[in-house]
Amino acid sequence: MGCRDDVLLVILNLSMPLIETGKGKLMSVILKTIAAAGVLAIGIVGATHTAKADELANVKSAGEMSIALTGAYPPFSLINEQNQVVGFDVDIGSEIAKRMGVKAKIVTTAWDGILAGLLAGKYDTIVGSMTATAERKKVVDFVGPYYRDGRAIFVSSSSNLTKLNDLKGKKVAVTLGETHEKWANAQKSMGWDVRTYKGLPELILELKNGRVDAFIIDSIPGRVAATSGIPIKMMDIPDLEGGNLPIGIAIRKGNPKLAAAMQAALDSMQADGTYKKISLKWVGADIR
Amino acid sequence: MGLDFSVIPGYIDILIAGTLWTIALTILSIILSVSGGVLFAILQLNRHAVVRWPVSFIAWLFMGTPLLLQLFLIYFGLVQIGLDLNAFVAGVIALSLHFAVYNSDIIKSAIVAVDKGQYEAARSLGLGQLQAMRKAIVPQAIANVTPALGNMMIALLKESSLVSVIGVMELTLSAQRAISDSFRPFEFYIAAAAIYYVLNLGLEHGVRIAERRSARYR
Amino acid sequence: MDLALMGRVWIYFADAALVTVQISILAILLGLILGTVAALGSLSIKTYLRWPSRAYVSVFRGTPALIQLFLLYFGGPQVGIHLDPFAAGVIGLGVNIGAYMCESIRGAIISVDKGQVEAGRCLGMGHVQVMRKVILPQAARMMVRPLGVNSIALIKGSAIVSTISVLELSYTAHRYISSTYKPFEMFILASVFYLIIVSIFSYGVGKIDKRVSLEN
Repeated sequence: MGCRDDVLLVILNLSMPLIETGKGKLMSVILKTIAAAGVLAIGIVGATHTAKADELANVKSAGEMSIALTGAYPPFSLINEQNQVVGFDVDIGSEIAKRMGVKAKIVTTAWDGILAGLLAGKYDTIVGSMTATAERKKVVDFVGPYYRDGRAIFVSSSSNLTKLNDLKGKKVAVTLGETHEKWANAQKSMGWDVRTYKGLPELILELKNGRVDAFIIDSIPGRVAATSGIPIKMMDIPDLEGGNLPIGIAIRKGNPKLAAAMQAALDSMQADGTYKKISLKWVGADIR
Repeated sequence: MGLDFSVIPGYIDILIAGTLWTIALTILSIILSVSGGVLFAILQLNRHAVVRWPVSFIAWLFMGTPLLLQLFLIYFGLVQIGLDLNAFVAGVIALSLHFAVYNSDIIKSAIVAVDKGQYEAARSLGLGQLQAMRKAIVPQAIANVTPALGNMMIALLKESSLVSVIGVMELTLSAQRAISDSFRPFEFYIAAAAIYYVLNLGLEHGVRIAERRSARYR
Repeated sequence: MDLALMGRVWIYFADAALVTVQISILAILLGLILGTVAALGSLSIKTYLRWPSRAYVSVFRGTPALIQLFLLYFGGPQVGIHLDPFAAGVIGLGVNIGAYMCESIRGAIISVDKGQVEAGRCLGMGHVQVMRKVILPQAARMMVRPLGVNSIALIKGSAIVSTISVLELSYTAHRYISSTYKPFEMFILASVFYLIIVSIFSYGVGKIDKRVSLEN
């Protein structure tokens, strides 16, 4: 949004009179402060963009599309040692932007605020492995789906819990804002002690310390974590509710042109093999 | 999107639960941080440098780094050396440790500040060493520290909001839970702020009373 | 202790330290301005200046800075305020610390000897002149240390902007802890930078304090 430089300039201009106060320019300090505060206020409010036109035009004229994800959801998004955000979602999002002729700007944000952030206009889209649920479709539109995944329950490798009923009355961890959180809280008959955390790293940590008996997330990130050496294993529950769902790309409602452009980019990626390459690179399989 | 405060009552049970956790967190941490402060103060006034220096180092470290960072260290770090901590316990430990070092500074100065002459006067009146401490020094030291410690407690209440980042379901995270469901951040952050403000007023009032009572000993 | 890892990533912490410094300086400046205005307002005879000042201080010292930040960044759009994380961080921190700085400045102004004010009045100075020529120069000397304490608190407090994804020291530490599971190493790296920043700043405040004291 570029407010950074404005803020810098205004504050530096404000600080000059303050430094001169010692020489007795009190009244001018107060007047300048009021004037500057007014300018700052106008600047802030002026930065509001009323997205009345289809946002495709905005994205194209800005030359970049801002894409939100958590950066804490390997293999879909993670931070590598060089402090860069990488992963399946990052590559898919960047490729879509490329095919639309704009740059991709990756933004990381916590999951529980990610949808609200989109609605508030903080970024253009979410390519963050968000399940396209009916409830979410009420507030945003989804492009895609760009893969399918389902709910899975993970326990410690050394655990001897195998069936869903073994988990009755146990402590179960979920991530705040995920569909699994809602689902877990709704399973009254299981008598679960549902613990809510900020993200996957915390879920894994709590399972490792034995503070919870299991955690519930999408199957792919869990399975990838298990193969990368983390001591967890997936419970085999064939008819688990929510086992195969579409994962979509969220955009604000009322932007059919943006949706069409992004869908076209996604479709062409899938047709020419780029999608498959990305999928094999990060997940080791084609996950459509 | 506009504002719609009528969504708040629908989530009032989540907010109340969060408030209770905030209160529990705060009270527990206040008790531990004051006790810790006394302990660190005594250790820092010890004759032997080998006792003083490690404590002073930890104090310097914890006063020079953000509470948030200390929180991450304690929550993620202690697990690695074999200490299984849940988020609430980690939060209490971090808050208590952080404020204990600030409190130890305050308490240390107060102990040193109580006039040496007072101690000698008490002794010359025939009071034994322990009695001199109990009846003359300690009450005056308490009167000296109460305002400053009171301010630390008030600060602790507000800093408790930070433990939301490690997943403790206190007031701040509870508000965020309501927000992730209702998409109304403004309304719920105002509600949370209002609750904190009221809690703060209550705590300030309590501190005021404690100050007045301890001032009798000056 | 994975020193090799630390050796590979410390450079990113250095970059983040720069951001921490930038945010801190801007927020401190904003805080000084707001604090001064509020302090003068709170000492005014005019009620319409006093009450807003007192309210500002009461509300912003009486609620957590984290909530104020979230309100501004996440809640702002609902009332037409759209800020990027950096700007929201500066303004959120600045407005918060301004309330504390107000009290530091107010305290210094009040503690100027009443006799001085009367002497000024006897010499025929009006209220504003007394402020400018008598009180403020002397108060300035006394407010340096408390404002220094406020500023150092802000440098450490700037860690909270990591929660709105500003790429500063604490955010970087959290990021790396999440992906490497090496919290001690990341804590050490981030701490070293915070300690350096705070030490340099404390030194600077000490110097200013000395100079201002000598002038009198």
